[in-house]
Amino acid sequence: MKYFWLGSLLALLASACSTPPAKQASSPITARWARDPETLDPLALPNQSAYDAANLLHMGLLAIDYQSNAYAPALAQALPHPHLIGDSLTVLDYELRTAATWDDGHPVLATDVDFTLKLLHCPGLPNENSRAQYSFIRQVRIDSTNPRRFTLVCRGQGAEILTGSGDFSVLPEATLDPAHTLRRWPLATLQAWPASQAPPRAVTALVRRYQQANLARQPGNLPGCGPYRLATWDTNHQLRFRRKPHWWADKLRPAPPVLQARPQEVVFAVLPDDAAAALALRRHDVDVYPQVPARIFQQLQASPKARQELAFYTTPSYDILTAGFNTRRPALRDKRTRQALSRLFDPAGLLAATQLGQGSRTVGLLPPSSPFYNDSLPLPGLAPAQTVALLRQAGWQRRADGHWWQPGAAAPLALTVRYRAEEATFATTALQFQTAAAQVGIPITLLPAETSVLTTALQTGDFDVYIRLVKGSPFGFNFATFLHSNAIGSGNLTGFRQPVADRLLLAIPAEGNPRRKRLLLRRLQVVLQEEMPLLPLFFMPSRLAVSRQLRHVVPSGLKPGYAISALSWPATDTLRAGTP
Amino acid sequence: MLRWLLARLGRAAGAAWLIASLVFIGSRQLPGGPEQLALADASDLSRPATGTRATATQQAARQAVRQRLGLALPVFYVTRVAGHWHWHGPANQYHRWAVAALHGDLGVSYRDGQPVAVLLAQALRYTLPLAASAAGLATGLALALALYLARAPDSWGPRLLLSLLAGLQITPLFLLALSLLLLFANPEFLNLLPAENEAPAGGSSGQQAAYWLARTALPLLSLVLAVLPELTLPLVAGLRHEATTGYATTARAKGLTIRQLLRHHALPNAVIPLLTTLTDLLPALVVGTLVVEVLFALPGSGRLLAEAAAAHDYTLVVAGVLLSAMARLLGLLLADVLYFLVDPRLRSAA
Repeated sequence: MKYFWLGSLLALLASACSTPPAKQASSPITARWARDPETLDPLALPNQSAYDAANLLHMGLLAIDYQSNAYAPALAQALPHPHLIGDSLTVLDYELRTAATWDDGHPVLATDVDFTLKLLHCPGLPNENSRAQYSFIRQVRIDSTNPRRFTLVCRGQGAEILTGSGDFSVLPEATLDPAHTLRRWPLATLQAWPASQAPPRAVTALVRRYQQANLARQPGNLPGCGPYRLATWDTNHQLRFRRKPHWWADKLRPAPPVLQARPQEVVFAVLPDDAAAALALRRHDVDVYPQVPARIFQQLQASPKARQELAFYTTPSYDILTAGFNTRRPALRDKRTRQALSRLFDPAGLLAATQLGQGSRTVGLLPPSSPFYNDSLPLPGLAPAQTVALLRQAGWQRRADGHWWQPGAAAPLALTVRYRAEEATFATTALQFQTAAAQVGIPITLLPAETSVLTTALQTGDFDVYIRLVKGSPFGFNFATFLHSNAIGSGNLTGFRQPVADRLLLAIPAEGNPRRKRLLLRRLQVVLQEEMPLLPLFFMPSRLAVSRQLRHVVPSGLKPGYAISALSWPATDTLRAGTP
Repeated sequence: MLRWLLARLGRAAGAAWLIASLVFIGSRQLPGGPEQLALADASDLSRPATGTRATATQQAARQAVRQRLGLALPVFYVTRVAGHWHWHGPANQYHRWAVAALHGDLGVSYRDGQPVAVLLAQALRYTLPLAASAAGLATGLALALALYLARAPDSWGPRLLLSLLAGLQITPLFLLALSLLLLFANPEFLNLLPAENEAPAGGSSGQQAAYWLARTALPLLSLVLAVLPELTLPLVAGLRHEATTGYATTARAKGLTIRQLLRHHALPNAVIPLLTTLTDLLPALVVGTLVVEVLFALPGSGRLLAEAAAAHDYTLVVAGVLLSAMARLLGLLLADVLYFLVDPRLRSAA
């Protein structure tokens, strides 16, 4: 008996030390998700996992090409050329690809685009985010001579109009509205429908039909035009997508990067814990691990065995760690006080401590790689001596007790810092600020909180300083959503209000001329560094660890950090020779 | 006995309903809400954005979400506004929830519109077998260990075992589970028990069972080790105490071995305090074991309810509270019944 146990143990040890088997071309590619998508309703998409899934099931007019980090035509034949009308309208002419069809073989037509845009504004559907995002598209003019051609009439002018106009999943009208009841309602009428008024009967019936389709859990109830179908969904555990055997884009030669779908099966494993996800990667249960935390990335790179099995990529992301100041607080109303406090953050030290030195410091909200980056400005850094000088300029006096007082003030300068509790980078940043502030006599109280509590506190102005991520992208420069005075009470958490900044914030997205846009953006960076409503500390890196066997890895600074449909196992290339 | 049982069941159901009602009303008073999390963050520029998203637009969007989720109605029959009470009649959130719940409909999740009963049933498919197996295994092991330790001579072996149990008792569950994961599901050390793997597609039922056994072995071991000291150490103390009593001395004088004495005479008395601990495990069967579920990526009810609470998914949270309150109260009732059956003094009093 004892030999049996010894033999079993040796067998297990041998299996533990064996090399991973080579993957077949048809083997699924498994990627890690930190959370379940919760819903696959194409109108809702509440998180990144849901976006990733929607990109496999549906198609938009445009899609992100992760090689160039730019929008490229997907259902559209080409990127539209914007025509400006007056000083407030843009017209975009689109034509859909002739090859584009739904799963049932019917062509994707301009009427489907028109229907989808109306669906995005139907009351009673989970489309509240879409309503705000696409309300700038005011009209769809369908070409009477070509059912695949149409014109979008958009309010506003600027680069965001072009990219935003094609960034939604197009849905089939024939399935959801076979009687074409929505055609009689212009898009603008639905957009302006008062909340107090009951929607038209046709809309109510359509909403009911949409809800009955249960697309949140059963996206297969709707024919899609994306390359994959949802095969299984085990909530909070795993989602499996299977490639359609005959997808319309297979006919395209050469297939553009956004229309490539190499894996036969894509599996997303929901692994909420980072350490468990890293172990799953090491056990080859997961092939792709995006957004790897710094500590785990370092541990994986330190292991010789992991280095043999895995490939590591680090790319600069567009997410910026920022510290915001509540400009409505009397103590923080003076920009010199805010400037003084900004000198107590140590971006260089924090970048080294929390991100292994990866990522990049910045003077503003644009990445240093951007052509609009203002490289004439100094990088913010730790300078307690400047803090003391600036506080004195702002009228603060240091008393014998070591604290800073303003004449007539009832209390000394003391601040609270709010941040999300479960993020180590935020906690480290807050602790560094607290330590530096203590050395110059400013007591700091740290108030970490759970997400919804933090959001409520920030929106009600219950904070002095916050630390959070601003999620950016290379697609647009519309910072008005969180810096313009119109957005105080919604997106503008700092309460920042400055006429020059307001003018710049509105002018930048509307400006189509790159040279003038550059001047405006450089000026905005100067104004923000001067006014200091928030301090951009550094751009976070995007870290990706994948199986070394995987081919065509396209790491990207954009979420999710890689292009899943571009990936393949080695043999796939020989089987699908036509695919570039 | 039956009348007493029915009365206790009725009281338990009433108390569970009261707890769920309080949570229902209390959750609606929390700052933020599902509408806050449903709307995109204004500082999220990862998608192209136009306009300023003015405050009025944001408020309209928030109101639209509240309308869609049925949160625009008053919370209860009466509300107090500016020092005056207002009566709303049955057009309130609580009335609608209560009427539906009494008809067996616990509502739908705010996040995906799925019936919460279905979501809970799916999660319980993972949690119930895992937690019940852990409770059963831990109880059996605790009885065996306690009987051994109570009669073992004072030597290094039993002392080491007791120290290990004491060490386990002070180890947080996440540390214990993570250690097991790092030790036994780690190619750097031993990858004996994969914690996450593929079920063999089209495999025999034996292969499927082997897969699930392998998949649940580490979570099960974590739970058993976490509960074991709590069950074993008091039982050892109880058995040792019983072994020093007069009836034990008499039994020993009549020629019983120490093993017979402990098993047949001391155990029924020593096990009585353990019944409360055992029935305390009942709520864990339905609300799950969050730490283990997160670490081992098990889609159980603990994760479901924790995520629902974080997302302010009130309907799911209230259904979970109702379920766990029922389990807790039934656990207490079960403890009373077991005391009644085990302790003859209670039977004679009744």
